[in-house]
Amino acid sequence: MHPRDLRAETFAKYPPQGRSLATANLRVLKRMPLILLSPMLRQIVRYDWSFPAEREQLLLQLKFLDRLDGASFDALMSPFSVIPLSSQLIEIDWVGHPQRFSEQLTAYLWSENQIDNYHKTAQEYQQRLQEASHPEPPAVPRWTIVVVGRGSQPIEQPLFRRLMPRGTLFTQIDPAGGLDALLEAVSLRAQRHPLEYGHWYIDGGEPHPAAAAVPGLTMMSYNRLASAARREFALLNQFTNRADRGGAAGVEEVSSYIASLSPEDLDLKGTLVDAPLRNFEVNILTQGAGCQIYSTTFVQWASRECLHRAQPLTLFARFATRQSSAPMEQLLARDPLMQPQDQAGSLIDADMGAYYTWINQSRLEDAERSRFLVWFEGHGLACAIAPPLPAGKISTAPTTLRRVLDWMA
Amino acid sequence: MMSSYSGSTRTECLQQIAQQRAITRRSFLRSAAMAGTASRLFGFAPLRAAALPRGQKTVVLTFGGGARDEETFAPEGQENIPHLMNELIPQATFCTQVVNRGILGHYVATASLATGAYEQFDNFADVAPKNPTVFEYFRKGLGRPANDVWVIAPSNGFNRIGQSDGTRFPPGFGAQVILPKHLLASALSKTATSSAGLDFLLQDNYEDPLFTPPAVQNNVKLSRLMEILHLSVDDFTHHAKTLSSADELSVYVMRQLMRQFAPSLLWITLHDMDIAHSGAYSLYLEGIRRTDRLCAEIWQMIENDPEYKGRTTILILPDFGRDSDFSASGNGFQHHRTGDPLSRTTWMMALGPNIRQNRTVDRPLDSLDLVATLGAMMNFATPLAKGKPIVEVL
Repeated sequence: MHPRDLRAETFAKYPPQGRSLATANLRVLKRMPLILLSPMLRQIVRYDWSFPAEREQLLLQLKFLDRLDGASFDALMSPFSVIPLSSQLIEIDWVGHPQRFSEQLTAYLWSENQIDNYHKTAQEYQQRLQEASHPEPPAVPRWTIVVVGRGSQPIEQPLFRRLMPRGTLFTQIDPAGGLDALLEAVSLRAQRHPLEYGHWYIDGGEPHPAAAAVPGLTMMSYNRLASAARREFALLNQFTNRADRGGAAGVEEVSSYIASLSPEDLDLKGTLVDAPLRNFEVNILTQGAGCQIYSTTFVQWASRECLHRAQPLTLFARFATRQSSAPMEQLLARDPLMQPQDQAGSLIDADMGAYYTWINQSRLEDAERSRFLVWFEGHGLACAIAPPLPAGKISTAPTTLRRVLDWMA
Repeated sequence: MMSSYSGSTRTECLQQIAQQRAITRRSFLRSAAMAGTASRLFGFAPLRAAALPRGQKTVVLTFGGGARDEETFAPEGQENIPHLMNELIPQATFCTQVVNRGILGHYVATASLATGAYEQFDNFADVAPKNPTVFEYFRKGLGRPANDVWVIAPSNGFNRIGQSDGTRFPPGFGAQVILPKHLLASALSKTATSSAGLDFLLQDNYEDPLFTPPAVQNNVKLSRLMEILHLSVDDFTHHAKTLSSADELSVYVMRQLMRQFAPSLLWITLHDMDIAHSGAYSLYLEGIRRTDRLCAEIWQMIENDPEYKGRTTILILPDFGRDSDFSASGNGFQHHRTGDPLSRTTWMMALGPNIRQNRTVDRPLDSLDLVATLGAMMNFATPLAKGKPIVEVL
């Protein structure tokens, strides 16, 4: 099938809102090269449970493309059009299974030595979209607060050394009441700037009780999803055993199966209202590597995806300890919440995770005004990156997190 | 694959950081190598005569899992590689820029290193390389027996790396490939010794312990491997209990091979650091530190073995890097999916009696240059390999 052959009925199996969106933009979709159309269909097929920020971006993109005159449209598409595709790729049911198409496309681009060309083309396209679409900046500067080291003792290696050149390092924070102060700040922002999926709390262990009481705060935690991860492994085992009986399952088949799992498959129950969160949780567990077995990876990956997809005004990410390393077969089989913990390793993981969270926040619109704070929980060390604070400075004066928050504002 | 991240100023900021990384990469690698200016001023050694010293041996040590500059030769990473920094580099010629332009999957990339041509097969497929391997060039070109070349490979998929698929080279000249983890599993199945406590060494136990390519002429039977290595099952399993990783098991098997066969060409691929895919940065660093230590141990093994001392060149190189922290479509150290410059660019060091010590080579090299270099070094032809000999190590 060629994109020009798309019809409204082609999308009959799409969820209702995605189907309407595809039908309303059929003219644009039909003119797009398959290599670009496929990722767009991946967004459309999950449109019904997308976050508001994702929806807005997709609509802006479609609107931009629709307004282009023919020559400009073709010029924008031509770098994608000239990347050759194999007949096997074109024959895939890319409308019904755009995820599967993307997996096969990736393997194909690598094998044909086209992956670098594709990435370059995609980045240029993205740049063009951003220049043209002028998304609204957030109503207030974004805040990301990362708390590391819950359950860990200080280690020999210095913390926050990647972040320090960009912010102020505080070495004499009074840790008493620190977590409460941070959660109060998060709560205040959620109340003052209510926004659907605009304020998030992600925890690598059991969530703090105070967070559960904050209205308007989207919460997810490793402890609450650990059973879903184990369910995922059980289903994966069943699938590969079945596949082995009928011929070995390839990597792509396994990936497609995992990607097809729904919240119901993983026993994640919820209401229609929180369907975007349930589906996001499934995406985290099925598309992230290692976040099923290590809570530190979970917090880092969930924070990345949260910033990328939901683009929140506030993100509070709290790392906990992860289970100790073991052979992969054991890690996949055992209960991660009942294992010995690697305290020192978890702190190193979290330190890197905090750095990656800052990088991911920096990729968002209006990053210049954003605020970022990382604190070693229960200890006196924190690093704050905010326009009012000098970069690369060390403050050794005794202070509190409340004061640091004030200085960042 | 596409990311909706970025925007003008913030993207510029991140790009600036990434570019600073790229610009300084060469300079900090040079500083890491601590090479004197004099060695560059005086130029290269002349090309050596075609006839090589009698009994010359070569060890190729690659590590899969990818290692980035940040965690190795960058200033902040040097604490993870004290042995490479302090013991090996002062004795080595260090190539600061080796670019892998192929598919960044471990088996296919290592196979490409071994063939000198970018293989294009599915990384997870059970297939042999299309192009002839360096092992076949070596054995056919120099008329060497099967036991003169061995491969110690880390994990599933690598069992076919010893010999090409036969379409471009006559069969029967491949290398024997040992998969130590399954060798241990096989040993455990033959003994009353409990496998409890050894599970961490047996993560890929569906492999065959020894893969002898079809039609390779040798007298090694699967069931006799332990005997030939002069290992008792009990000793082997007992020793395994003293090891802390699968790579250590590989090095232990390497030591046995050196003692029993003293092969002229020995290829070992370590893989512990690929734990990075789990996203746990601390475990990735542990893997790098262990690899650093094992590199030094292997060099010590060579220096302490009369069959190898003074006549062995070792080439050490990662198969490729890992994604940059600043690639929007990646997730930093965790994977090697973006194909960005950091994931494609790595380094190589050479040590040996005919290698100049304490010098750097800054010009860009290609991963494919390895096979052509081995051919020039050991005096056999590599007609289908695409790379060029690295004259600075000849």
